[in-house]
Amino acid sequence: MKAAILDGIVLGLQYGLLGVGLTLVYGLGGVLNLAHGQLAVLGAIITALSFDAGLPIVPAIAVGLACAATAGLVLDLTLMRPVYRLRGEPRVLLGLLLMLGLAFIIDGFLVWRYPIQSLSIRIGGDPIPILGVRMRTGSLIASAVTIAAGASLVAFFRLTTAGRAVRSVIQDEEGARLCGINPARVRTFIFALSGFLACLVAVTRSMTAPVTVTNGIDFTTLALIVAVVGGLGSVSGAFLAGIVLGIVNTISSFYIGTYITTIMLLVAAALTIVIRPSGILGGRT
Amino acid sequence: MTATTEPQTRAPRAERPAKASVVRAYLPIFVTVALLALVPLRYHDSRSMMGVVIGMLLFMAYTIAFNIIFGSTGQLFLCVGALAGIGGFGSVILSDRVGIPMVLSIVIAGAISAAIGALLSWIAVSRSLDVIFTGIVTLAFSLSFQSLILGRRDLTGGESGLRVEAGKDTFISEQVQPYYVFLALVFAYLVFYRFLQRSHIGWAFRALRDDEIAAELSGVDVTRYRVYAGALGSFMLGVAGALYAHSEGFIGPSTYAFGDVDVRTIVMLSLGGIGSLLGPVLGAVAVTALDEWLVDYSQLQVMLYGVVIVMLFLFFRRGVIPSLESVAARFRSGRHR
Repeated sequence: MKAAILDGIVLGLQYGLLGVGLTLVYGLGGVLNLAHGQLAVLGAIITALSFDAGLPIVPAIAVGLACAATAGLVLDLTLMRPVYRLRGEPRVLLGLLLMLGLAFIIDGFLVWRYPIQSLSIRIGGDPIPILGVRMRTGSLIASAVTIAAGASLVAFFRLTTAGRAVRSVIQDEEGARLCGINPARVRTFIFALSGFLACLVAVTRSMTAPVTVTNGIDFTTLALIVAVVGGLGSVSGAFLAGIVLGIVNTISSFYIGTYITTIMLLVAAALTIVIRPSGILGGRT
Repeated sequence: MTATTEPQTRAPRAERPAKASVVRAYLPIFVTVALLALVPLRYHDSRSMMGVVIGMLLFMAYTIAFNIIFGSTGQLFLCVGALAGIGGFGSVILSDRVGIPMVLSIVIAGAISAAIGALLSWIAVSRSLDVIFTGIVTLAFSLSFQSLILGRRDLTGGESGLRVEAGKDTFISEQVQPYYVFLALVFAYLVFYRFLQRSHIGWAFRALRDDEIAAELSGVDVTRYRVYAGALGSFMLGVAGALYAHSEGFIGPSTYAFGDVDVRTIVMLSLGGIGSLLGPVLGAVAVTALDEWLVDYSQLQVMLYGVVIVMLFLFFRRGVIPSLESVAARFRSGRHR
């Protein structure tokens, strides 16, 4: 049980990071990035390819992260332009459908070109006991990286001017514009950041289980569930939801079974929308 | 005295244009179905090609149903495959396990789909979910259904699928006849779609799609009509999915998977034109032709669908037919001036 909870927290932090990117992009531009997981897998596969090409693992990861961030940046500057020109419901619908199309393009491309490629980073060493539970080294490094990333993200949003600028655009785009913030540039930055975070999650996942070319849809679904349960647009909500769902996930797949667990997570997302659309931290609407 | 003579003189005059407009409204359906009826003449000796064109008709039916839900009332149901799958698995379980006659089981399974579709619609409307939240809730439903299919191996056969006993060795499992069964289904769906469009329901659909608040203010019960659309469309999906299960003789998790059904349906509808009568027909024909053309490059299919979706929504946001129509209209009005 203790092991399951610890594993769940590790998994949950990764879920949180995955959800944060999706939630931020939606909060800023109204674009539900259904290609979020595909960007993560794209970065992971680029990492694996660079590693195979002879790069040491750390630079290879850096290449993958940079590519995922660049992909986000380029997307925002090209495909998302016509979306941002629209307002209200048409914007949301067009953004959703374009990203769905893009998800298929990335998925299809990866399965076509690199059908058996996968990223799995093996970290040796004996299990290390934490709170009486023996944790694998890979899993510990993954959690350390995830915690560091999450902490710097929170610090960025709380402490820096740029982070406050991002939050102000989420709250009130017009108001932010009046204060001299350029929402378009904030959006571009956040899109790139979300690509980076997605890839980081894929890389840390690969330290415990291989990430294959077909994993994109799973990552997208998880990000969507986490972002919805946390409340679309809420960073702290996404982290909290991630941890809660991570613990629920490990405990229930351990004691009940995997397929019920998947259904439980999906139902959690659906129920959140129906009962409390603003998420677990949001107020009642 | 005048009151009795007047209707006699007026009635024929009023009737004639009405009849003409009825003919004009339903003629395209007859022409389309007549053209589609010729397809087996070319492919009747090839088992695999008959399978392809039957699949085309199945997706035509799916797309017409989705068009009622999404095209007519703007509810983004990302659970076309799941609703069809409830029809499919439901009907097979009812007929093979419970022993209900096949036709009855298809209708019951369709009714179950309709109830679930109506429930989803009702939740979406009563919680006033916008398009994105409706999409997420229905997607969550879709993926849950998929997990359930894989998980309940005892009922659904899990990954290895289910052999369908009811309908085996009847005319719907032959080579050419099922084509006409599905053609009849498509014909019925098209006629029903046109009938809806011309009735007060279609009028309400248009009103609430164009401007929901204005429709509500002028007395259209938005909730009721959205739920109608959800229920009717889902019933059509369920029946089509069930019919396919019995005609094909085998169903598995990928028969109704989101990635296989919903995506194709969305591509077909957006290619043909959202909210148009013959858009689904045209879209289904075009996508099937594209698939066959690229049959040797089937790994490229997923990528190609993605490209089609992106291109369509970037350049032909309202579908190919309406876009061409508006271009033609501009051309005509330009000439008049």
